[in-house]
Amino acid sequence: MLEPWITNNVVCHATEAMIFVSIACSILGVIISRTSLSSIGITMSHAAFAGAALGMFLGASAQAAAIVFSLAVAALIGPVSDKAKMAADATLGVLFAMSMAVAVFLISYMQYLGTGISSTALLFGDVVSLYREEIYALAAVSALTIAFVLIFFKEISAIMFNMKIAEAAGIRVRPVYYILLFIIAISVALSLNIVGGLLIFVLLVTPASIAGQFCFNVRSMFIAAPLVALSVSILGVWAGFKYTLPVAPLVALLLTAAFALSVMLSFKRRINTKAE
Amino acid sequence: MSIIDLEGIYTAYEGGSKAVIRDLSLSVDGGEYVVIGGPNSAGKTTLLESINGLVKITHGRANVCGLDVCRQGNEVRRRVGYVIQNFYFDPFTPFTVEQVVMMGRFGRMGIAAQPSKADQKAVCRAISMVGMEDLAHKFIGTCSGGQQQKAMIAHNIAKDPEVMMLDEPFSNLDFHARKYLQDILKEICRSGKPVLIVSHAFDGLPDIPIRLAVMNQGRITFDENCWADEVEDIIRNQCRASTEGRAFREATGVLNA
Repeated sequence: MLEPWITNNVVCHATEAMIFVSIACSILGVIISRTSLSSIGITMSHAAFAGAALGMFLGASAQAAAIVFSLAVAALIGPVSDKAKMAADATLGVLFAMSMAVAVFLISYMQYLGTGISSTALLFGDVVSLYREEIYALAAVSALTIAFVLIFFKEISAIMFNMKIAEAAGIRVRPVYYILLFIIAISVALSLNIVGGLLIFVLLVTPASIAGQFCFNVRSMFIAAPLVALSVSILGVWAGFKYTLPVAPLVALLLTAAFALSVMLSFKRRINTKAE
Repeated sequence: MSIIDLEGIYTAYEGGSKAVIRDLSLSVDGGEYVVIGGPNSAGKTTLLESINGLVKITHGRANVCGLDVCRQGNEVRRRVGYVIQNFYFDPFTPFTVEQVVMMGRFGRMGIAAQPSKADQKAVCRAISMVGMEDLAHKFIGTCSGGQQQKAMIAHNIAKDPEVMMLDEPFSNLDFHARKYLQDILKEICRSGKPVLIVSHAFDGLPDIPIRLAVMNQGRITFDENCWADEVEDIIRNQCRASTEGRAFREATGVLNA
């Protein structure tokens, strides 16, 4: 896609991957940040991490296993909350701990068996060794995320406003919520190789939080958050390759700095303070 | 057939060991103005949420607007207006009053459908009914508690429901706003739709025959027509009688009788 402009294949693939990851994660982040379920991001990222470790342990594809494990965790969140009579956030906490335990156990056991793997790429991402198929998959997930928001915009808006009021209005809240969980699961699992299990959470939460400092309505948040994520990611990839720095952690640091700046510059916050 | 028809229903919240509503039967016809009173934890809110299927009915039969609540809960919720109790919208909630009122129409629209002219018209009408024309473009989180309450009432009016249910609708409203809301509810009753209110504030009830249902421990213990000025006394007497009855049953060891 970007070959005409970026001649270096590695840089080109890394830039493309970061663009698609940024679009998918930041759009999902807008929904997550307004539904008080930011723990979904951290649980899913660790589920993908555990899945990848399981895949390696079984000698299967780490990415395929990450997708399957994340989807399984996504499918468990609703029913476990209902059956165990717990709030969704508590269920997420339990599933997060379980995922982390599975991942740490398998990685330690593989190291004990002498078939140890390097978990660094899974934890912190590795943008230099990407296959074209992975980028196609990420492009597909970005398109799926955009289509999901466009098709269910009304339902998503109502859920972001108040889930109980949305349900009382006769909106089918559960199917939309489950589709959201599944798209988060797939996006996170596919992004694992690029930004890593620990840093994906930054891409899910920070761009939406930055957009929230300036945007007055949901529509503009859905446009601003991916733009912020895209700009910072491209800057991170450029700076990472130019100065030989790790790309994903650099993007995470740049996003955090952008968030701090946005809080200081937010005219929205000033307007609210003045109104008080 | 009544618009609301409950027969021997039992409901329990997820995780609750005890049924909140126990063997409750209630029939409500079009145009009835029903005030549901009773002490705290009597099951008043649960009753409203059983009627629109937000709380699962574990036993019994519930029919609302000709639909089975247990099997067609979503369709029932599209036809029943419900103003919930105790909501709070933070100052950064990115929705205006107009957008919130429009959300009341969302249940009726298809997936990916955009609001039609009829939807816009219904929203404008609902906003003007609650007197919020000047605040339509204000963010809901920056509105006062009373204004938020009015916006939620408009959200349900815009839905054009066949039944209107309100849980403590007067809690954040001043005297004039209460009177204004009562007039709106009276109009809804006159149009042949039933109105059900759970409330502890009885000043400003309309001068039309009121059906008073007093609840205690998940059951309706009193259900008769009365006038607005009688409501408070009847509820007080019913609650006292119920407390004395419970004390008597406790003393005589027949609490579960």
